[in-house]
Formats: sequence, structure tokens, C-alpha cells
Amino acid sequence: MKVVLQNLTKIFPSRNKKSNEEVVAVNNFNFEIPDGKLIGLLGPSGCGKSTTLYMISGLLKPSSGKIFFGDDDVTELSTENRGIGLVFQNYALYPHMTVKQNIMFPLENLKGADRPSKEQMLERAYEAAKLVQIEQLLDRKPSELSGGQQQRVAIARALVKMPRVLLLDEPLSNLDARLRLQTREEIRRIQKETGITTIFVTHDQEEAMSISDYIVVMKSGLVQQIGAPQEVYDDPANLFVARFLGTPPINVFTGKIKGGKVYLGDQAVLDVGNLPDQEVYVGIRPEGFIVDENGPMICQLQDVEVMGHATSILTTHEASMNPIIRTLKDSDGPNQFKDGVVRYSIKPHKIFLFKHDETEERIRVEVK
Amino acid sequence: MAEQTTRVMQARDMQKTSIQQKIASFLGKAGIYLFLFLMAGIVLFPFYWMINSSLKSLAEYRLSPPTFWPNQVLWTNYADAFTTANLGTLFKNTMIVGIVSTLLSLVITVLSAFAFARLEFKGKELLFAALLATMMIPGELFTITNFATVTNLGWRNTYTVLIVPFLVSVFYIYLLRQNFLQIPNELYLAAKVDGTSDIKYLWKVMVPLALPTLISITILKMMGAWNSYIWPRLVANDEAHRLITNGLRNAFTDTTGDVNYPVQMAAVALVSLPLFLVFVFLRKYIMSGVSRSGIKG
Amino acid sequence: MVESKQQWKAWLYLAPAIVLLLVFTVWPIINTVVMAFMEDYSGLASIGGETSFRIGLGNFTKVAQNADFQSALRNTMLLCLITVPVSTVLALLIAVALHAIKPLQKALQTIFFLPYVTNSIAIGMVFAAMFNVIGSVGTRRPLISSYGIINDVIRFFGGNWVNWINSGSDYWANMFVLIVYIVWNALPFKILILLGGLTSINKQYYEAAKVDSTPRWRVLWRITVPLLSPMLAYVIITGFIAGFKEYTSIVGIYGESMGPVHAPHRLNTMVGLIYDSLASNNQGRASAAALILFGIILVVTLINLWVSKKRVHY
Repeated sequence: MKVVLQNLTKIFPSRNKKSNEEVVAVNNFNFEIPDGKLIGLLGPSGCGKSTTLYMISGLLKPSSGKIFFGDDDVTELSTENRGIGLVFQNYALYPHMTVKQNIMFPLENLKGADRPSKEQMLERAYEAAKLVQIEQLLDRKPSELSGGQQQRVAIARALVKMPRVLLLDEPLSNLDARLRLQTREEIRRIQKETGITTIFVTHDQEEAMSISDYIVVMKSGLVQQIGAPQEVYDDPANLFVARFLGTPPINVFTGKIKGGKVYLGDQAVLDVGNLPDQEVYVGIRPEGFIVDENGPMICQLQDVEVMGHATSILTTHEASMNPIIRTLKDSDGPNQFKDGVVRYSIKPHKIFLFKHDETEERIRVEVK
Repeated sequence: MAEQTTRVMQARDMQKTSIQQKIASFLGKAGIYLFLFLMAGIVLFPFYWMINSSLKSLAEYRLSPPTFWPNQVLWTNYADAFTTANLGTLFKNTMIVGIVSTLLSLVITVLSAFAFARLEFKGKELLFAALLATMMIPGELFTITNFATVTNLGWRNTYTVLIVPFLVSVFYIYLLRQNFLQIPNELYLAAKVDGTSDIKYLWKVMVPLALPTLISITILKMMGAWNSYIWPRLVANDEAHRLITNGLRNAFTDTTGDVNYPVQMAAVALVSLPLFLVFVFLRKYIMSGVSRSGIKG
Repeated sequence: MVESKQQWKAWLYLAPAIVLLLVFTVWPIINTVVMAFMEDYSGLASIGGETSFRIGLGNFTKVAQNADFQSALRNTMLLCLITVPVSTVLALLIAVALHAIKPLQKALQTIFFLPYVTNSIAIGMVFAAMFNVIGSVGTRRPLISSYGIINDVIRFFGGNWVNWINSGSDYWANMFVLIVYIVWNALPFKILILLGGLTSINKQYYEAAKVDSTPRWRVLWRITVPLLSPMLAYVIITGFIAGFKEYTSIVGIYGESMGPVHAPHRLNTMVGLIYDSLASNNQGRASAAALILFGIILVVTLINLWVSKKRVHY
């Protein structure tokens, strides 16, 4: 089932009755989510990603715009008639019911011809439980389960009625680091097995990048960029997106273009052809630095962090907007530097230029 | 599973159009409001009937079918009620008992709650548990012996007998102790370091911080005096010390038959009015106190 | 150092409370238990009571065999068994309905709490007025001048008027009036507690139920009631305890005669019986009756707790 969002907008009236300040939580969101894909809505808290998810679920009504499931306009349809599955951030498992009762609950609400017999219900609940590998926990109460197990029960409950669309609200945020890794692979596997169009919300870019077919990066209600994770990472639309994706984060400098070259301080680090002279923000990915004795960029060494599979070099530079520049190199090669100075040359496809104004939009460069 | 998904969903698809869905939701809401208005009407009706009846002449009251607002509003019923039931004296007695017992009760409650919340002494837990255990026993069990005790003490028909026996409420001590416990102990230790006396600390720090609870206790205690009936009737049923509820019941002994209901209802309205005013202005405190207690008065 | 100083200070602060509790709470507990086993004892020599006594179970047997006790026990039980479920279900429905609306919620909530801050005697008199019939009711050919507002309403809808509380009235008519009044009086507290419980239930359970297309009644029965069960157990237990102590509501409607004119004491309750024994200067019997009441309350509470342990989800 494809999901189409058309000019989707949500405006919350101001909480303070005296001032008339409205909050635009989601602003003119357009996206056609292809059938059977896993989509990650990504952004810092308050960016409107959860609001978008809740509008797709029908629990929130859009202020304007339309939502389609396939070719059906569901904008006016209330939640219970949308046939969606929703996994809440803290799972919302009914504490007084066993796992089995929780999973069967949605089936018991079906009416008429849709309503399976008792045996069919049990069978489907068991199937769903098996899919998320909790079939041995069916008679437990939610309070007797670990966080990860509760998460799986919540997913089973959302899947058991075979929803048209599966929605997950921050599905991993309540799990510890190790479980998070395991569970996100699990979600990917379940999504692939069922083929249900799945939309999930997260503030963790690594999580979104690792399992999504597409990610949607949002900020203050506005969609910043939509694309496959690697595409967005390699080709960010603006400084915000560039900063938001990637660990360690991108290094940002204030620089300028003069005579077809990008300068950081007085060091020309990149040829940009015939771009007009201007002030710019310069973003360089940590892996975009090559330690090079003859490189154009000269940084002051602060520290070297050895991580085993890679080495991280911490330096400073006068043009840097962050106090520390963090670069990554593989663990081979020397880690010793003379006179506390590191010289870098820059991989041209790992350096991005952005307008030095409020839009902070990308300035595209023809990479030779 | 994916195949099944689409099949089931298409079958259910658009079963309900958005219009049907809106009508259903509107009817649901309308039903809820209808039910609530009906119940609210039932809840309010006795109050309305009390006021309506209290303003009628006796002849009009006897009309069948009744009038739903007096043809002629008769305020004199209230004056009659005031003199018939001797409400002036009853108000005075009740206020004396209510105010004195509330003040004393507050002092005792604050001191005890402070001791239980902040001081360390041997047997604290045991004593506190014993106090809580007494809350389980119905008050009637105490009344019998207390009746004998106050009789032997010669306290019958005095204000003392109406005030002293119920000064200590284990429940209020419990309530206030819980409130005191929420105030960080560091504040107390800091006050000790600065050489502040216990009483000053209590008065300047703990009492202000626990003020909402103290107000709840005050209101419930005052309401208790206003509504108490059984004990005052047993031990102080003379003219000089009679309390309001008992006085009302005594002034109008007949409830059935051809009673002068308008005057009786006027008296009832006069007795209810102070409670009503307290409720209107201090509802927040009453409701928060009650939701933690479940004890009337 | 602080500790040793605190010892005597603590006892000083506690002194007024402890003294009063010893005299008016602890001593009565001991004394009442002892007196219950002292036959023919009235204790109050100062007002001419009998102070000689024998030790025995006589008070209990006399109380139990007393016809008044049996009718009082029956009245109390009936009132409990009817008013507690009725008021709990009504309060639950009202609380759920209140919780489901936004406009007017605060105003309606205030109205529903209003009966709590009333004087049971005073409003009992209003209920009496509403059910009272003016005229010669008990006679063969009654001459009625006013049927009372409740009967007027019944007659408006084409029903026959009922002699609710006047001379010659039926026991069940009397009980009906009492039940209406007690339920009316019991609603506010229950609504307050249940509404408090409802607001503390995580909204996501309802959103989850909505996503799963759960019909309204099923949400109520399968989600709200189980999640509200601790509060429900609380209002039921306190409701039973209050029910067993019912007394002033009856005085409010029927006066101290505890019944209609032709059948005084017919509506007497356990607590009423205890005070009757006190008034007739029979401390021993009053103590026995009080202990029996305590025993019944204890047993009922334990049964309630036992049931709720199986049913309540905490």
C-alpha cells in the first residue's frame, strides 16, 4: 500500500490564550511513500516528525492537506477505520492482559465477515508472536517482560490484524544500546518478511540510516530532504541535513570563495571553478580528510584517539566553527605528527559548500 | 501474509464513509451530554426544590400540581425559620465549637506530624503503625465508652465535650506527615546549622509549604462541626450548647404529614447556605482533601 | 547529640495527641471489649446505672436474639447490598462520561460534587418534602391536597401515586426513598475518586484501542474497568464501610423515630441500635452491638479485599 501525503500541514493553536501565536508543527509536507518500503522520519525533537506520524494514524487531524492510502483519500477517515498498526513509544501494552490477550485484542474487535473464529484468532496471534520470536512468552503479563520483549509484543499486536500501514513511534528509544542494535535489525527483517509499508519516527540518525529505504529529514515542521540514506548523506541539501547525519558529525568552517578557490583562513583547500566570490559555510566529513605532508590545510594537533578499527585525530583550526575538528583515518599508518601540526588534503566529494545566509542552502560544485 | 493483508483491508475498505463516521461520533457525543445533563438535573433537583418550596406560602405549597416557581415570593419564611429554629444561637454555638476545635486540632496535628516526619525517637515506627491501626475501627465503638467518660467527668452539656474528644485525627496527622516528608530534610538541617529553633522552623518553613493540606484540614474540620449530629445529640442537647444540625432536627421533628414545609425548607436552606458558600470559594481544597481521605467531615 | 535531644522533644510534641488518644481512643477500645462481656452492666453510676455485673456472653446473645437487632441487621445489609453497587455503577458511568467530554467538563464536575458538601439531616428533610403526601393518606377514602413533587411527576406520566413515607406506607416504599437518597449522597465521592483514577490512566491505551478499532463499550469493559480496578475496589470497600454505618440519612428523612409514623424503628440500623442501647443506659449491650458491627465490617472488608486481590490489577 503506497501512502501519499499531499500538502500536509498541522497548526496547533497557541497554548497561551492571551497570545495568538500558533505553532506550525508540520508545514506543507509532500511525499509519495512507495509500497512495501521502510521509511524513517528523522529530526530533532519538536521537528514535527511525530505529528506527521500521528496524522497518518488519524489520531491527529491535519489542519490542511490530504492523506491517501493507495488511491483512497483517508484524510477524513477516523483512526479506527484506517486499518493501520501503530507501535507506541512506550508500547502501550495493556498491563492487565497477558501477551496473548494483548495480541488477540485487535482481532476481537473485528466485526462481521472479517471476524475470525476463536481458533483462527489464536492461530494468528501465535503466528504474529512467532514472527517476532516471543511465542514462548504468550502467557506472561507485560510487567514480567524486558523492554525488548515488550517492544516485540507491541509489534506483534500491531501486525496481527495485517495492517495496511505499520507506524512506529520512536520504536527503539526505550531500549538499551545493545538491544537497540538487535531490535532495529529485527524490525528490518519483519518489515521485509511482511512487506507492509512501514513508517517510523526517530531522532537517532544512525538508526534511521541503518534500516530505512528512505529517510525524511525534518526541521521545525519543514521537510529538509527526502532520499535513500546514502544519497542524503553524500548529497545533503543544506547545512542542517549535513550536520544532522553522520557520526562523528561533519566539521563546519566559515570560509570564502575567491577567484574560484575555497579558502579556510588563507589556505585554499578546493577548486570550485567559476563560482562567484562570496562568504560560505564549508562542511567536511570526518572521513574526507587525508593526512598529507604536503596538504593545503594546516591544523594544530590536540589529541589522537585510537579506536582499533580506525583512528580519530583531534585538531583545531582558526576557521572551524566547532572548538575541535575530528577526522577519521584507518588505523594503518603513522599516528605521530611533528611539531604538533597536522596537514590534510581534502577528498573533493566529502566537502560541501553552503550559502552564508539564513537558508544555509547547498552550493553545488562540479567535482572534476 | 502480505497477500492476506491487502485482501482483508480491501474488504473493510471504506465500509464507513466519512459522513457516517461523523454522524456516529456526533450521536455518541450527544448521548454522553444527554446522560450527563440528565444526571446533573437529578443531582441538582433537591436543591432547586428546597429553594422553590422555601419561598412559597403554605397554601401555594399545598397546590397540586405544584408551581415550579412561587407565584408570590415570600421571604418572610426565612425570618420565620430563623426565629422558629432559634438559628442565631445555633449558628453561634456551632461557630464557637468549630473554630476552637479547628485551631486546637491544627496545633496538635502539626506538632505530631512534625515529630513523625522529622524527629528520630525510639518506637517511632511502632507508634505510627499503632495510630494507623486505630483508623480501622468504626467510631461507634469509641462513642460508647466516651459517653461514659464525659459523663463521669461531668462534661455533659458544655462546649468542652463537643471539642475535646475529637481533637486528634489520626488521618489528618497521617496526611500532614506525608506532606512534611516531601519537604527535603536538608532544609531542616540547614535551619539547625543556622541555629533556628524547631518551632520557628515549623512556623516559617513547614507550615507555609504544607499550607494547602492545612487549609483542606481546616475546611473538613469546620464542615465536620457543622454537620455533626450523633455525638452532640448524645452529650450536649441543651438549649445553650446545641449545634446547628441537631437544632434543625429538633425544631422540625415532623417530616411527614401536613407540616409547614416552606418554613422548614427555608431553615434547611439557611443551614445549607454556609456550606454552599464554602464549596463555591474553596472547592479546590475540599476536593483535594476529600480525594485523599474519603472521610466525610 | 541531636538524636538524644530529639528523643524528649519528639515526645513533647506528641504529648497532646497521645494523651487525647489514650483517653478517647485506646481506653474506649479496651473498655468496650471488656464491657461487652459484662452482663447487666450500665457503668454510669452517676446517673443511677447498675454497676454490678456478671462475666458472660449474655450481652451478645441478648443482642442477637433481639428482634430489633435482627431487623436492624437486615435493613443495614439490604441498604449496603443495593446502594453500593448502584452508586458505584452510576458513578463509574458518570465519571467515564465526564472524562470523555471537554466543554462544560469543569462545570458538570462541580455540580456532581455538590451533594458532598451538604448536611445529611438537612437535605434528608428536603427528600422527605419531595416524597411527602399532604392529606389523609392512611384512611379508606383518602383526601389528598398535595401528592408531593415525586408523585406529581409519576402522575404526569400516567402512573399511580405511591405512599412513600407517610403513615401506612409500605416497607419497600420506605426503603426505595432511602436508597435514592443514599445513592444521591454517595455519588460525589465515588465520582471524584474514579475521575481522578481515569485521568491518571495513560492516554496511549485509548489511542492504541482506537487504532485497533475497539468499540466504545468494549473499551469501557476491557480497558477502563480493569485499569480503574484499584480505585473501584477502594470506593466499593469504603462504600460498604459507610453503608454499615448508615444512620443520619434515615434520621434526616424519617426523624429520630427511624420509621414512618405507623411503624417507628422499622428502618433502624446497626448504628441506630447502638445509640438506642446507650440512650436506655445499657452500656454492656451497646458494646456488644458495636463489637458485632465491627466484626461484620471486618469480615466484609476482608471478603472485599480477597475478591479484589483476584480481580484487581495493580
